[in-house]
Amino acid sequence: MTTQMTRVRPAAPPERRRRARTRTANVAGVGRPGFLWAAPATLFFAAFAVVPLLMVVVLSFMSWDGIGDPEFTGLDNWRRVLDDPVMIKSIWLSLLLTGLGVAIQTPLSILLGVWAAGNQKNRAVLSAIYFVPLLLSATAVAVVWGALLDPNFGVPAEATWLFGDGNLYGEQASAIGVLAFVSTWQFTPFHTLIYQGAARAVPPVLYQAAEVDGAGRYRQFFHITLPQLRNAMITSMILMVVGGLTTFETVLILTQGGPGTDTTISAYYMYERAFRSFDYGAGAAIALVLVLAATLISLVMVRLSGYDKMRSTTEGL
Amino acid sequence: MKTRRRMPRILAGGVALGLALTLAGCGDDGGSASGENEFTVLVYGDATNEVEKKLVAEFNKTSEVKARLDTIPGADYQQKLQTIISTPQAPDVFFHWGGGSIKPFVDADLLLPLDDFVKKDPGLKDNFLPSVFDASVVDGKAYGIPMRGTQPVLLFHNKKVLDEAGVQPPETWDDLLAAVEELKDAGVTPIALGGGDMWPTQMWFQYLYDRIAGPELFQQALDGDKEAWESEDSRKALGMIRELVDAGAFGDTYDSVKFTNNGSAQLVASGKAGFELMGSWYYSTQQSLNEEFAAEDLGYSAFPAVDGGKGDPANLAGNTNNYYSVMKKAEHPEAIAEFLKLMYSDTFVKDQLSIGNLPTTTNTADFLDQAASPEYSTYQYDLVAEAPHFQLSWDQAYPQSAATDMHKAVQQFFNGGLDADGFISAMQALPTS
Repeated sequence: MTTQMTRVRPAAPPERRRRARTRTANVAGVGRPGFLWAAPATLFFAAFAVVPLLMVVVLSFMSWDGIGDPEFTGLDNWRRVLDDPVMIKSIWLSLLLTGLGVAIQTPLSILLGVWAAGNQKNRAVLSAIYFVPLLLSATAVAVVWGALLDPNFGVPAEATWLFGDGNLYGEQASAIGVLAFVSTWQFTPFHTLIYQGAARAVPPVLYQAAEVDGAGRYRQFFHITLPQLRNAMITSMILMVVGGLTTFETVLILTQGGPGTDTTISAYYMYERAFRSFDYGAGAAIALVLVLAATLISLVMVRLSGYDKMRSTTEGL
Repeated sequence: MKTRRRMPRILAGGVALGLALTLAGCGDDGGSASGENEFTVLVYGDATNEVEKKLVAEFNKTSEVKARLDTIPGADYQQKLQTIISTPQAPDVFFHWGGGSIKPFVDADLLLPLDDFVKKDPGLKDNFLPSVFDASVVDGKAYGIPMRGTQPVLLFHNKKVLDEAGVQPPETWDDLLAAVEELKDAGVTPIALGGGDMWPTQMWFQYLYDRIAGPELFQQALDGDKEAWESEDSRKALGMIRELVDAGAFGDTYDSVKFTNNGSAQLVASGKAGFELMGSWYYSTQQSLNEEFAAEDLGYSAFPAVDGGKGDPANLAGNTNNYYSVMKKAEHPEAIAEFLKLMYSDTFVKDQLSIGNLPTTTNTADFLDQAASPEYSTYQYDLVAEAPHFQLSWDQAYPQSAATDMHKAVQQFFNGGLDADGFISAMQALPTS
């Protein structure tokens, strides 16, 4: 909507634009039956997101093992979850894995994306190959890497100079490394796609002007491409954070939260409490903690990055 | 409209009929997991399924009400079962491990007591070994019919590897420690362990505790006496496990190896490891992976004795048997009763034996010579028949809600994440009822 706005009034100063936004519906001058159009999506969202979320809130105050009737136990689950050292640890682990994901995947996918946006001859073929992981299910990816990283019959057995004894899932650092690596392998193509699209949208006149001014390839990258990718970067990072906080199947298949509880991230811990220990109340409480944390982090990111009042990168052109 | 008028009547009628049938089909699915004249049988998914498939096919040849077999791959069985059991998708007949694992279902009044079946056909009880049949009796009522084989945990080995290192299957704990050194010198991992699964690690605890303290200590702990874990015997067992791990018996990578993806079994079959402690199903696992190895080089022995231990060296640990239980909501109890009778049929006993399982029917002894490996089956049969005590696996004996925390505790004690005190308090924190 904002882009549409800016197209209507490209040079509007910020204050005026904000005021204009409140009348967005009328800007285009087309009458739309607002609620009716939104109804199907709203109903769907309510039935499959809002209602279950409310039920989880109720469940978090109950004790239930999956059979029989749930009983109200007040704040008991919450007290247990917030006092649980594994829970606290799991939040830090979730943040660590998410942070690692952003830190590794962002530079990689920017470079790949900008490269793939060019018009080299081999580009189409190589890009197609790079995007293959995107087509595979997360479960399949985890299973394949699990087999490839087997200490006795996988790559580590052949490359001892790199993997040492190959006990990748037996130490916290290497287990976290494996998880970060596998999600990098799996999700970098997706973010590359975002950056590729964004890099293609950079107006060529900017580069032409820079060339006239004598800017080299690196200066062009740092002073034109990167600033132009700002909005894409924010989008991709928010997706990475949300995806990172809800990572689950990779942990389930590769480490099962082990060794001990050393890779038990919050999403997996929730599953473990609810579906392995049949303590659905505690599972619901953990799920809510996760929802709150993810919402908070997203809000902070949106605020800090100015995503909510995102400016067009083509302003003034 | 025009096209529709031209459409031949028959075709239109056919389409309408088809739609109606589809709708009817939907209605059925909404009500119950099984269709009309059908009941579902849910089984733990592993190599034994081929026998169950054959049995169901056999049953369906003559029965009007058909059985449908569903399997859930091993590691996820218990939580999937618990998730669906009180929903309309619940199976009519399902597999379990006996007593402790169905207690919550009995308490929730979901299961059909089988005493009426037994009254109509006493064979449903009399044809099974009493101790095994009784392990699925809850509150004085029978809830399960034994349906696979008894599965004691044995110490398996690769004969070739042991021969080359000059090692004999150990009879005592000291023999085992010596064998570990010899095998290390020979350049192989002495004992393969699927530590990534965690339950194989626990087998070492349940056997060693039984050998040192006898079955009483664990029973006390299970009855709620948390002091049991702090006893001298408990600390002695933990010290011996520590010694074995520190001696390098399991190599360095056991936490990255799993049994459920055949990783540990491959280690033994390929000669990279000497021993593996595993349930008797190990034979069929190896058979399905590598038939030649299972037939020629797979050796086995009982868990070694511990000098001065209170437990009888003839005691066993593992799964007493698996059972079929019937849901109260099942619509075809008569057909299910007929189906359950097959569990003591001669064909069933022979088929189980042919893949290395050991059924617990009274006529099992008659067919031992027809087993896949008569020697192996006879060996097991004698062990079970002579064992003064058969310890149900710890994670099955405790309530299901304790299993995850127990598994983490044994894993962390093995890899040094917990010391003896840490392990003891982790075990004390487990729910016992």
